[in-house]
Amino acid sequence: MTAYLIRRLFQMTIVIFGVSIFMFSLFNIAPGGPLTGLQQQQRRITPEERARIRAQYELDLYWPVRYTRWLVGWPQGPLVINGQEFFANVPVGCYLEATPEQGGGCADYVYLSEVPQLHPKVRSSRGILFGDFGPSTVVQAGQPVWDLLASRLWATVELQVISLALALIIAIPLGIYSAVHQYSKFDYSFTTAAFIGSSMPTFFFGLMFILVFTILAGQIQDMWAWWPTLPPGLREAVRPYDVASWLTSVQPGSPLDRFLHLLMPVMVLTIVSVAAWSRFLRSSMLEVLRQDYVRTARAKGLVERLVINKHALRNALIPFITIVVLQIPLFFAGAIVTETVFAWPGMGRLFFDALNRSDYNIALAFIYVTTILTVVATLLGDILYSVIDPRIRYS
Amino acid sequence: MTASAEPIAIRKIPREGKEESQFQIVLSRFLRHRLAVAGVAVIVIMFVGALLAPYIAPFPRDAVDVAVATRPGPPGTMSSAGQVHLLGVDHLGRDLFTRLLYGARVSLSIAFIVVIVSEVFGVILGATAGFMGGWFDIFISRLVEFLLSIPTLPILLITASILIKTEAQLPLPAFVTGFVSWMLASPPQEANKVIVLIVILILLGWTGAARLMRGMALTLRNQDFVEALRAVGASNTRIMFRHIIPNGLAPILVNASLGLAGIVIAEATLSFLGVGVQEPTPSWGNMLSTAQSYMFQHPWLPLVPGIPLCLVTISFNFIGDGLRDALDPRLKR
Repeated sequence: MTAYLIRRLFQMTIVIFGVSIFMFSLFNIAPGGPLTGLQQQQRRITPEERARIRAQYELDLYWPVRYTRWLVGWPQGPLVINGQEFFANVPVGCYLEATPEQGGGCADYVYLSEVPQLHPKVRSSRGILFGDFGPSTVVQAGQPVWDLLASRLWATVELQVISLALALIIAIPLGIYSAVHQYSKFDYSFTTAAFIGSSMPTFFFGLMFILVFTILAGQIQDMWAWWPTLPPGLREAVRPYDVASWLTSVQPGSPLDRFLHLLMPVMVLTIVSVAAWSRFLRSSMLEVLRQDYVRTARAKGLVERLVINKHALRNALIPFITIVVLQIPLFFAGAIVTETVFAWPGMGRLFFDALNRSDYNIALAFIYVTTILTVVATLLGDILYSVIDPRIRYS
Repeated sequence: MTASAEPIAIRKIPREGKEESQFQIVLSRFLRHRLAVAGVAVIVIMFVGALLAPYIAPFPRDAVDVAVATRPGPPGTMSSAGQVHLLGVDHLGRDLFTRLLYGARVSLSIAFIVVIVSEVFGVILGATAGFMGGWFDIFISRLVEFLLSIPTLPILLITASILIKTEAQLPLPAFVTGFVSWMLASPPQEANKVIVLIVILILLGWTGAARLMRGMALTLRNQDFVEALRAVGASNTRIMFRHIIPNGLAPILVNASLGLAGIVIAEATLSFLGVGVQEPTPSWGNMLSTAQSYMFQHPWLPLVPGIPLCLVTISFNFIGDGLRDALDPRLKR
């Protein structure tokens, strides 16, 4: 087990490292970058100005140097040991490129000793590996990305925890009932509904909910007076509103207002998870019900309820738990679509806004955090698997 | 050894009932899955509509009718020339039925290209990895593990957004651009952008097939028939392409069918979020995206591209389900 854990931790490091390289190259080596737009705006730009702007974005440094500075905040300058500077004369970048007439190459190298003056510790002092993602550039310019993410974290967690709990409460009984009554009318209609539910795109679900509970709610109320009108987006209302004839003048910011705003996004997320999970639990339950130990339990004369709850369910839950654990990090990523449709001010929506407005520090931080969460959850799921099922041993 | 000629004679004895080939068995089992058959029907209708889009569409794809009474207009709106817009017009006065047909062409083309290329790619890589073993297997397995352990949607979004914003031009031979532009029934300029999207989807989409095929190859390569093939002197390439891959193709087929639904959803999601297929190329996703901004005044708008989108994804999933039941020998009755 220890050897397995060490190997997995090593793999995790490689995955995180790989993602960081991929992201870095996407942002820095891919065509485009800050200079392309500038050149399109003003064609006549002197080489000196160009060099100054390049330096502003650290583009004068060579990319391996830029990468390590971005990842771990190093090197910030020459190595100082006992007041003595080492490697001060190593060129780490090119401030001004030589023109072809001058024979190409570099006209003005950046040496390691010049780095502290040219690039002082403002942008990213510690590196993203230590959680320093630098400031936001567009969405809320100047504010540290970490603070922005943290301020949005609560909204996402609220949404996800509620829908996770609801989905579990609904999916487990549904899956069990459907498996125990296999090929019954209920089973057929349930599996078909779950199948359709899990194969529809999430955002269309969201749009349909908005259509039925907000846009067409007025018309539906003409037929059924009790039909509610739900707020289609955001977390709180701005002014008092009426839901239905039985619930009028909801005050903005009240707990009831917050609850009403939660309803639609939670419903969408819950339905999607229930459709997938109950189907999974049904099939794993069916597998278990065929086992010999279930027949033995029945042969002993146990009550059917005990056979199902004690003998079958516990074993069927083993693969189910790992599936659920694996889903947890996907919540942060998977909520992008739902949060965008319902204008929910969570992390996924922040990521999407950041992408649209080219605020790449935020986008990078989001991806970095979700990657780490995914990798950690995968490991946790595997460990949990071996803990609850003693038949599984890792070597 | 006198009996060695006997089995040949036995085969000629007429059997009771008609003889069924493997294909017929699979087909009859597939036909028993009614929802899968309905799925095939839906896909065939969509496919024919998409294929004939340039001929049956009542209007040119991007024709803007400024003089139409209301924009967006409900189904049955009359155009200024006196023609009926079957499904209405969008906010620019373009015929929605026409754009729906072309959108079907774009969405289905992307799905089929991505799935076919990534399954072929995955099958070859997976089979080679499983059959050859060694460093290549380690490399492929690690790569697949890596791609499966990263959060796909944010990575897709960010890659697509950056590449589309930077107007990346892939160095492609003209026939590829030409072929895709024919598939999409849109000019090469637009096809180029769609190819970027296709490439991104392929890069993240081949892992499933590779993992499946590698597993199949690992079990198949130790079986007696492979040993026998070696004994008669078959080359590695021949064993792999003529025996290993065909034997492991059944789960790949199921995977591909479910993959089609997945890619249709992925493309629609990206386009809906504005980083997939770009206007004026129509796709169901970007039609939904514009519909969203007008749906408060015009509630029918999201239904026009939304219903076919759902029908197609559900149909592909049902077909995959039916194929799985039909191809799984354990369920043989």
